[in-house]
Amino acid sequence: MTKQLTFKSASEMPMVSISLGDMDWNKTGAWRAQRPFYENKTSPCNEACPAGNDIVNFILKMRQGDFETAWRVIKDENPFPGVCGRVCFHPCESKCNRGHFDEPVAIHALERFVSDFAINLAKKKEKLPARKKEKIAIVGSGPAGMGCAYHLAKLHYDVTVFESLSMAGGMLRMGIPSYRLPKDVLDREILDIEELGVEVRTGVSIDEHLRVDDLYSYQAIFIATGAHQGRGLHIPGEKGKGVFNGLDLLKRVNLNKKIELGERVAIIGGGNTAIDVARSVRRMGKKVVILYRRSKDEMPAFEEEVTEAIEEGVKIRYLVNPIRIQQKESLKRLECLRMELGEKDESGRRRPVPIPNSNFFMEVDNAIIAAGEEIETSFLPRGIDKKDGIVLTHTGGRTGIEGVFAGGDLASNQRTVAHAIGSGKKAALAIDSYLKGNEVDKVIQLLLIGNGPSVSIFPYLHPGERMRSSHVVAFEELNMDYFEHSARQKGERLRGKARLNGYGEVTSTLIQSAALVESERCFGCGTCNECENCYLFCPDASILKRDETLSHQVDYDFCKGCGICFVECPRGAISLEEEAR
Amino acid sequence: MRRVITGNQAVAYGVILSRVDLISAYPITPQTTIVEELSELIASGRLKTKFLKVESEHSAMAALIGASTGGVRCFTATSSHGLAYMHEMLHWASGARLPIVMVNVNRALGPPWNIWSDQSDSLSQRDTGWVQLYCENNQEVLDTILQAYRIAESVKLPVMVVLDAFVLSHTSEAVEIPTMDEVDKFLPPYCPEYPIDTQEPMAFSVIATPEHFFEFRYKIQKAMEQVPRVAKKVDDEFRSMFGRGYGAIEKYGKEGAEVLLMTSGTVTSTSRIVIQKLMQEGYSVAGIKIKRFRPFPDEEIYEAIKGTKKLAIIDRNLSAGVGGIFCQELRAALYPKETRPQIFGFISGLGGRDITPSLIEEAIQYTLDHDRPKEEILWLGLKR
Repeated sequence: MTKQLTFKSASEMPMVSISLGDMDWNKTGAWRAQRPFYENKTSPCNEACPAGNDIVNFILKMRQGDFETAWRVIKDENPFPGVCGRVCFHPCESKCNRGHFDEPVAIHALERFVSDFAINLAKKKEKLPARKKEKIAIVGSGPAGMGCAYHLAKLHYDVTVFESLSMAGGMLRMGIPSYRLPKDVLDREILDIEELGVEVRTGVSIDEHLRVDDLYSYQAIFIATGAHQGRGLHIPGEKGKGVFNGLDLLKRVNLNKKIELGERVAIIGGGNTAIDVARSVRRMGKKVVILYRRSKDEMPAFEEEVTEAIEEGVKIRYLVNPIRIQQKESLKRLECLRMELGEKDESGRRRPVPIPNSNFFMEVDNAIIAAGEEIETSFLPRGIDKKDGIVLTHTGGRTGIEGVFAGGDLASNQRTVAHAIGSGKKAALAIDSYLKGNEVDKVIQLLLIGNGPSVSIFPYLHPGERMRSSHVVAFEELNMDYFEHSARQKGERLRGKARLNGYGEVTSTLIQSAALVESERCFGCGTCNECENCYLFCPDASILKRDETLSHQVDYDFCKGCGICFVECPRGAISLEEEAR
Repeated sequence: MRRVITGNQAVAYGVILSRVDLISAYPITPQTTIVEELSELIASGRLKTKFLKVESEHSAMAALIGASTGGVRCFTATSSHGLAYMHEMLHWASGARLPIVMVNVNRALGPPWNIWSDQSDSLSQRDTGWVQLYCENNQEVLDTILQAYRIAESVKLPVMVVLDAFVLSHTSEAVEIPTMDEVDKFLPPYCPEYPIDTQEPMAFSVIATPEHFFEFRYKIQKAMEQVPRVAKKVDDEFRSMFGRGYGAIEKYGKEGAEVLLMTSGTVTSTSRIVIQKLMQEGYSVAGIKIKRFRPFPDEEIYEAIKGTKKLAIIDRNLSAGVGGIFCQELRAALYPKETRPQIFGFISGLGGRDITPSLIEEAIQYTLDHDRPKEEILWLGLKR
């Protein structure tokens, strides 16, 4: 307080009660019963991403027009934005808070846009930093293996990847048709990983000639060989001529090998492989029918893929189960049973039950079995446990053998690209912790996004940066007064018939203006984007602008704790807690 | 320029000619067309005034308080419940000595729900420290707004200009509209007492302890006491420039009349006709129109009623438990005087019921016929 004035009479006094000095002495912060504070929180999309992408931050950078940084933000967590932007089933969008308002943000389309944008960036040939002395072997060059290699290389390890096929990429290369994932996109992202110093040795199988035991000169081994064995139907005739395995067929297509098929092709199964096979065969000009033993609702294939397949002329017959494949010259005669749905099974889906005496016959030229994939286990060393068709692992992919880790489809029933990338990242963290003698569980626990199970490696490499609490922002915590409805942007899609002319991409990348519009749709749940609402609304002028990195702070000398900033923050980036007394 | 316009349009012309910088208002019948008129002009770009949309009358007045403190001439208009909702901010405007001008279109307060004219809304704000000026016709509405800014900015007190719902607000009359140049000569730009300067920050309306609060209120009373002199000067100047003036009160009819009838607002127009008729019939009657309610024109009235034995007053309002509010003020004003007439306090026209010539005649007749009122409150036109 500067000076207490006491007037002797009214005539000495000013007209109104006014302090001719300032009020800095009056620390009204002492009146505060609750305290607002800036606290970035976890967005539901970030938590939902199995690969652990920092979605909210990369979109924030996009909104600022900084596509390069957006790309780097994704690359911090995930070496495959071009792949994921195209083939990921985007669970982030299912959790997007915008879904409660109009439609979820097209996150996959933005990721794809950013990765395509990055093609044109001038590549800086960075000198690789000195390697650590530890060497790590990775078996399998799919998204799990290459993902793990990428992060280990960034942690300066000497990494060698062993791949049995002639090219790296695993299921990304062999299992996904190029109308969904063009080969150049994959090549580019694999090259980026190799440029970090990762050595990929192709054409090297782990079998009786080279066994896992032979790799014990490496300080750690990560096995991510995937699930490539087509699951049989166990019906008579399935080994017959002209009956193919779905995954084998996709491999042949992806390797541009010749495939002899008749005019009518039946595909048995309801997963993504069945759909990929069906659409590939349609592109060969054949008539395709999918036979699935349950109904549409139980189909494990992604809905979008199913829709596109139907647009392309693929027929699907539900509640049909082949029980015998008879050879009749070159024709196949499928004996099928009609099914109905019974009680729910262990997968939570209704179990198909045969209708007695409902047998009927179908004549086709070829049958392709796509009833799921199993893992190959013959090469695995003793000491690695298996259960329910997968390798059993602990946090970070640890197996029963010290120093040996496993991940990807080999160790999980959640067989998606994003899950594989996430498991590769966890394994990289686990290997680093193992080699440093740190407790893996503790390290992973600290890096969980929200409530997990996905992890973020960024805070591991950059402690103290982009801090956020694990609280996941709910729709109710956002202030919808600041958002207007706007339509989800979509890329151009080829018409059904036009797609059948080749293996070109079905959907195009968003054009820049559409991508910007779409990025504007992001609520930015829990992340301050310096919209300055707090600054404008604070009735006590107690929001201070600071330097660039952290733009605002609360002036606790004067903040009375009214909570207006907390309420007016559109995106839940301000928290309010009771003042400690 | 002479145009046929409604009372609410006259308000809008007054605001435009006063070069108001900021308008903030919330719509309420019967005030709505004022805001519509002004906001349309602003939206079309023809009026370079800022219009601030708000979610309530309380906020409208709060916005004006901020603007006026910042040295901006500002305006709002409201009615009835809207005015009641502003109540807290009305005290603030006068306590902070801000020369805000507001129009209130008189409307009854519910329940029962009612949108028609009576004065209970403005009169229930009589203790908020606002000057209150009541208007009889649309010309007076426009002219009073121009005068109101002069008075307000001179004594640093807010002014409420009051007109009757529908009878004025939505009824068209011929109105002489002064030119901008003429008004500019009459009304100079507003200069705040304490201009805001970000280089020299000040805190406004800071706490005043019992040590000083008392004196600030004393100063408001002293400012109110200046109003009769200032208002007369402003009115005289206005009359000399525009040929029209109104005074705090206006007396008409027979000199030295036996009975005087006091009215405010549009009832006065009707009363003029009745008094003229009764004079022609040989009655000794005259009328007094009260324009300024706050501060109440004690001295002007005392001068005007000298020698009068009986004074009838019609209140279009009711302070339940007491009676008419003008009547109360009148009694209080005359009590210290040595000679006082008998006061006949009539209440009429609540909730917009017409106060017809025959009702007014009945009131005068009653006053002529009685030495003193038989009842404290004389209900005029009540269906008992």
